[in-house]
Amino acid sequence: MRLAYWMYEGTAHHGVGRIMNSMRGVHAVFHAPQGDDYVTTIFTMLERTPAFPAMTTSVVSGTDLARGTIRLPETLRQVEASRHPELIVVVASCSTILLQENLEIAARSSGVACDVLVYDANPYRMAETSAADGLFTELVKKYASAQPLTTQPSVNILGPSSLGFHARHDLIALRRMLQVLGVAVNVVAPWGASVDDLRRLPAAWLTIAPYRELGGRAAEYLEAQFGTTALREAPIGVQPTLRWLDALVAGLNTVAARLGAPAVTLPPLTAFSLDGMSAPSNVPWFARTADMESFAGKSAFVFGDATHTVGVVKFLADELGMPIAGAGTYLLKEADWVREQLEGYVSDEQFLATDEFQTVAARMAELRPELVCGTQMERHSARRYDLNCMVIAPPTHIENHLLAYRPFLGFDGADVIADEVYTTCTLGMEKHLIDLFGDAGLEHPDEPVEQPVAAAPPNGAEPHPQATLAGPALAVAEMATPTTVAAPTVLAPVWRHDAEAMLKKVPFFVRGRVRTNVEKYARERGYAEITAEVLLAAKEAIGA
Amino acid sequence: MPPKASFTREDGLYHSFCGLVSVGWLYQKIKDSFFLILGTHTCAHLLQNTLGVMIFARPRFAVSLLEEGDLSSSQPQIADQIDEIKREHRPSVIFLLSSCTPEVMKVEFEGLAHSVSTPEVPVLFVPASGLDYTFAQSEDSVLQALLPFCPVAPPDDRRVVFLGSVNDAIADDFALEAARLGIPVAGFLPANHFHELPPIGPGTVIAPLQPFLPKVANQLVNERECRVLSSLFPFGPDGCRAFWEDLAAEFGLTVDLSEREAAAWERISAHTELLRGKKVFFAADTLLELPLARFLRAAGAEVLECSTPYINRRFHSRELKALEGVRLVEQANFERQLRSIADEQADLVISNIITANPLIGRGVVAKWGTEFIFSPIHGWAGVNTLVGLFTRALRRHAQLDPLGLDPVWTAGVMPSAPREVIPLQRQ
Ligand code: SF4
Repeated sequence: MRLAYWMYEGTAHHGVGRIMNSMRGVHAVFHAPQGDDYVTTIFTMLERTPAFPAMTTSVVSGTDLARGTIRLPETLRQVEASRHPELIVVVASCSTILLQENLEIAARSSGVACDVLVYDANPYRMAETSAADGLFTELVKKYASAQPLTTQPSVNILGPSSLGFHARHDLIALRRMLQVLGVAVNVVAPWGASVDDLRRLPAAWLTIAPYRELGGRAAEYLEAQFGTTALREAPIGVQPTLRWLDALVAGLNTVAARLGAPAVTLPPLTAFSLDGMSAPSNVPWFARTADMESFAGKSAFVFGDATHTVGVVKFLADELGMPIAGAGTYLLKEADWVREQLEGYVSDEQFLATDEFQTVAARMAELRPELVCGTQMERHSARRYDLNCMVIAPPTHIENHLLAYRPFLGFDGADVIADEVYTTCTLGMEKHLIDLFGDAGLEHPDEPVEQPVAAAPPNGAEPHPQATLAGPALAVAEMATPTTVAAPTVLAPVWRHDAEAMLKKVPFFVRGRVRTNVEKYARERGYAEITAEVLLAAKEAIGA
Repeated sequence: MPPKASFTREDGLYHSFCGLVSVGWLYQKIKDSFFLILGTHTCAHLLQNTLGVMIFARPRFAVSLLEEGDLSSSQPQIADQIDEIKREHRPSVIFLLSSCTPEVMKVEFEGLAHSVSTPEVPVLFVPASGLDYTFAQSEDSVLQALLPFCPVAPPDDRRVVFLGSVNDAIADDFALEAARLGIPVAGFLPANHFHELPPIGPGTVIAPLQPFLPKVANQLVNERECRVLSSLFPFGPDGCRAFWEDLAAEFGLTVDLSEREAAAWERISAHTELLRGKKVFFAADTLLELPLARFLRAAGAEVLECSTPYINRRFHSRELKALEGVRLVEQANFERQLRSIADEQADLVISNIITANPLIGRGVVAKWGTEFIFSPIHGWAGVNTLVGLFTRALRRHAQLDPLGLDPVWTAGVMPSAPREVIPLQRQ
């Protein structure tokens, strides 16, 4: 037993909910106490679902237990009557699994006509990710049926799912690339897939399964069972995307050759850009620009799930040239894979596999990297230790569920990640430079203490100070970064040409503050003019 | 004799949380407390997703996590964790909350709490598991656990104790209002600190501020022989007037607050104008539903249905009387509610956080009920906030460009969404 505050992964039933809320015409029934219905909120609030998620808690109460009643059959009947699903997946909870009830028999006694699958997810052995992937694999095995290949080149995309990290955006990025290649999408699953779609999976020429966490095992099954080649790499970054495209084309052309169909060819790379005539990604040039010099030597610490940790470490190191101070994952079952993938990027000592956020926070505090790429948890730890952080993996916060197109995969994704790195680090760098020049004259309001504040009531009334119960969506616990306030303007010393020219060499985003500090220095010493000498002396005095 | 209010009881297949969520406000209310939940990954995940994700200011609550290996021992060892909590948080009192798994395991919680309790830092058992407790109900359990620590007041100590956690501003309001009416105040249960609990005895009048505390009210009568005020709960002008007049009467004071009530209604007339004749449907789960519905009805709205998890004939007797004629449902069935909302064309649905967005997606104006728990809606000072919560949803909806139910604006948002939207509202 241990004391737990926050968890990286959700529960097994949450994983089941993620698959069911991804698919059409299916439904999850949780044989669980009332409170376990909380998972529904995560979907309705974080994903802002305009319809009811496909999940129902078949309530188990203390009275039911005392009387030996089981409401499951009645719930199944109600779900069938109101939602008409083709498939209902029943799953027990952490408490009801101990009752050792035979849910198969209970489910069968309901007499519902649709398929009912009692999914054996032991919540003490499985968490969100393995439960989701396990269920998805089981469904693919249950429904995928042998059939002729499509006449045109086509692929399946396995892995995008409800509450998957930027999954909707990634799916758009993948579809865009496939469209450019002239390759049809046979089935996307679980995102938007029906049971019938699962049946049609073997019609594709190839399966794309970019996420280590979800879809990979199903893709391997399709390969073993139906000979559908699985492309399991994640195209995160420009170089991996180029390699991924080559592998995709090669894989499709093997099938084309077998079928005697025309080969798929890679069009000019500009075809992959949004307007069809520009660079597919701006990262390769951006990384070489003078501006990016400032990143040389900025170290990064990356912690998250398997796919994003590996993808982002490689991207930062290979494409932006950043040193990696450390990396790791909370998915303990994937730790070996991540470790292996990061061979040559991080040493054994720099690698961390843990599901306790305190351990990760301690590592961050010790390394003090210029950039942390992590989850919500790291973002909060980073605030506490005054480090720059961007979120690259679940668990997420409502603010990671933005409206604009922000994929992580493909050429588009490379640009999105690079932008995020740049803005996260630049703002941080500004702060470091201020520190470098001393922050005398700059008011730094203290970091806001993170109070558990629920969303301010929309009427602008004072929130109930005791109020914290908020949906996942509503916990806007942080305030905006404090803004710095310029020093009061007293008689300003005059800047001489030489000093002015030197000042211009200071990066524009801190120039104003350097100016203020140097002027303050000059005033304090009674200089009426700021010459190059004074500027140098000021820099020296302030600690540059 | 409690009135024979009529309400129906359905099968309870609705959306809600369990009693653990009360921790969200109680740990902040009782500032030197710590809430330890003996539970599982599920309970931890619930807390982090309902209490405001990732509050990092060292929350004074945690889950003592039962893992697979712990399931075989009938009495878990929590001594080390209690020590860790004492070391890191220095609480004056630790509440040990039950959850479903240890309940199923038949953990003997009283004994467990006792085994780690010391006179300096008592560890108090609080039943809160989702098998038996919903939402705000576990505040009732916490107050019951606190009661033995309230000093016993002598019989001639004739003062009021306000029952239910409210924030400091509301508490000040109530203390001030009582003073103005000449009602002596002994304090609040719970108080801000463990050692500030009010004295309670046979002369004490208990004035319940929250409608979800029937058990502790009962226990107060049985163990301390005090009187529990039976009135409306102090929400809205009508509720406040009844509450204060009845409370004053307990102290032999006759006060007439009719003018005060009229003035309060007058101040919110712009809101009540908007509410008049509106068809409102309560499908929420906070246990505040009865008094809220009563207020809305007094404000001129038509309450189509008021569903609430539990109704207590005695504790809610006055509210029930005021709600006569309204369809009251305990343990509602959500699918049935959806059909009723569609049939009766509700103008406003007070739902819970779980169902708000999907209801809005079906063309309904939905208001998330939990906001009432978190807003200062008590007393005279809360009237404006209270009515504003109802009207804001209506106003905002009216102000936005009509979206209609054209599915184009939600296309692709939700992978499992049925391709057809089934509207609850006629266009
Ligand atoms: S319903 Fe039970 S198992 Fe679920 S979160 Fe609440 S106490 Fe924990």
